[in-house]
Amino acid sequence: MQNETTKIAFLVAIATLVFLLVPAFLILYIRSYNRHKKNHFLEKQNMQQKFESEMLQTRVEVQDQTMQSIATELHDNVGQLLSLTTLTLNSVNLDDGEKAKKKIDNSLSLVNKSIKELRELAKLLHGEQLVENGIGHAIHQEINWLNKAGTYELKVNNQLVDVQVTSPDKDLIILRLLQEIINNIIKHAQAKHIQIDSYLEKNALHLKVTDNGVGFDPNEIKAKKSGMGLNSIYKRIEMINGELALNSAPGEGTSISIEIPYP
Amino acid sequence: MRYLTPISIAEIICLIAAITIMWKDKNAFGKVITCYLAIALVTEEIAAYLAIRGIHNLWLFNIYIIFEISTILYGLYHCIRRYTNPKSIFIIGLGIIVLTYIFFLITQPFTNLNTITISVMSVIFTLYCLYYYYLLLKDENFIEIKTHAEFWWVTGVLFFYFGSTMSNIFDGLFKVRLMGFITLKFLIYILLNVILYSFWLYSFICRMKQQKLHS
Repeated sequence: MQNETTKIAFLVAIATLVFLLVPAFLILYIRSYNRHKKNHFLEKQNMQQKFESEMLQTRVEVQDQTMQSIATELHDNVGQLLSLTTLTLNSVNLDDGEKAKKKIDNSLSLVNKSIKELRELAKLLHGEQLVENGIGHAIHQEINWLNKAGTYELKVNNQLVDVQVTSPDKDLIILRLLQEIINNIIKHAQAKHIQIDSYLEKNALHLKVTDNGVGFDPNEIKAKKSGMGLNSIYKRIEMINGELALNSAPGEGTSISIEIPYP
Repeated sequence: MRYLTPISIAEIICLIAAITIMWKDKNAFGKVITCYLAIALVTEEIAAYLAIRGIHNLWLFNIYIIFEISTILYGLYHCIRRYTNPKSIFIIGLGIIVLTYIFFLITQPFTNLNTITISVMSVIFTLYCLYYYYLLLKDENFIEIKTHAEFWWVTGVLFFYFGSTMSNIFDGLFKVRLMGFITLKFLIYILLNVILYSFWLYSFICRMKQQKLHS
């Protein structure tokens, strides 16, 4: 009987030790799980910060682009118009009434044209507001400026103007992407014809820009890692979970298709 | 010397820490724990006194477990309610324990140790502790385990009540004396109590660090 009791006592002692080990392992598991959770949280926070800083940079770049356009416009357009007005008014001979009237009428028309140009500029100054009105309007405005230069033959199919849904953060990035693509065409493509298509389909925004310029070898550009702002485009697309398809070959123009989950 | 067992020493240390740290806590949890530790120590000392005098003392523990049930249930409720509203499951748990206690009162004399209630409450407390861990893991926010007072308080409870399960189940079946009046059961309880009060002491220290951080 004594032997039996000792056996039970021994078993109870062992079982108690095992029962103490179980919570110990449980605590270790919770500790490890919690650490993973903490790392995940910090990573998420880090990504959020990165996104915000990227957003800020994009905002600055959009503003910068707007300012450049304004400067160019003031210098090349309004400035020229006003100089011409001054010249015309200076040459007015009051003794020759008929000629003077014609010249003054010409000056008036030049001043009116300048006022119109300045109004257009004022609209552009509200770069942020441009995006606030929706990405469709922002793209439309951007294309207008490109069209004014008259250098390119444009074919535009912008179906985003009447779209009701918006995503302000994404809109700003999309606008910046379009600006970057157009900049690349202006700087490098030597194109004559540009086609821009934009539409919304199945909760995805599609933007396609095609040019008939000199083209390039995408593999070579990727290998060089220099890439005419391409890296910046890829980085931004990744940031908003989008996809980019690039088709280009030397002498055969370039086509860039972007698909972004939207809104 | 029988007044000063390892259990009572652990209780004294824990009580001193509770008075200095937990009593000034704004929420009721700190005060409840301090009172409970004082009751536990007083019970331990009276039981020792009665044992020395050769007077039966199990009835005293039957009264003491009422305080134990109330305090541990309150403590666990306090910890779990941060994550969810546990009122219903605590009412069920309390109901089961009260019914078990009444069953003991009806079926056995009060001078017997209420092992059935002790076993049932151990299982219920263990389940609540595991539920707390489940909620902790499920929660999208992480905690700083090293300094999380509530986590270590619950861990102490889990170690004590889960660890004592076997002793509760086999209570009365093994009375092996290791030396003098020290039985194996007593030794196991010393170990469990030391673990419990160590965790609680650490939990109080964590709370003190939190208080300093907030002040």
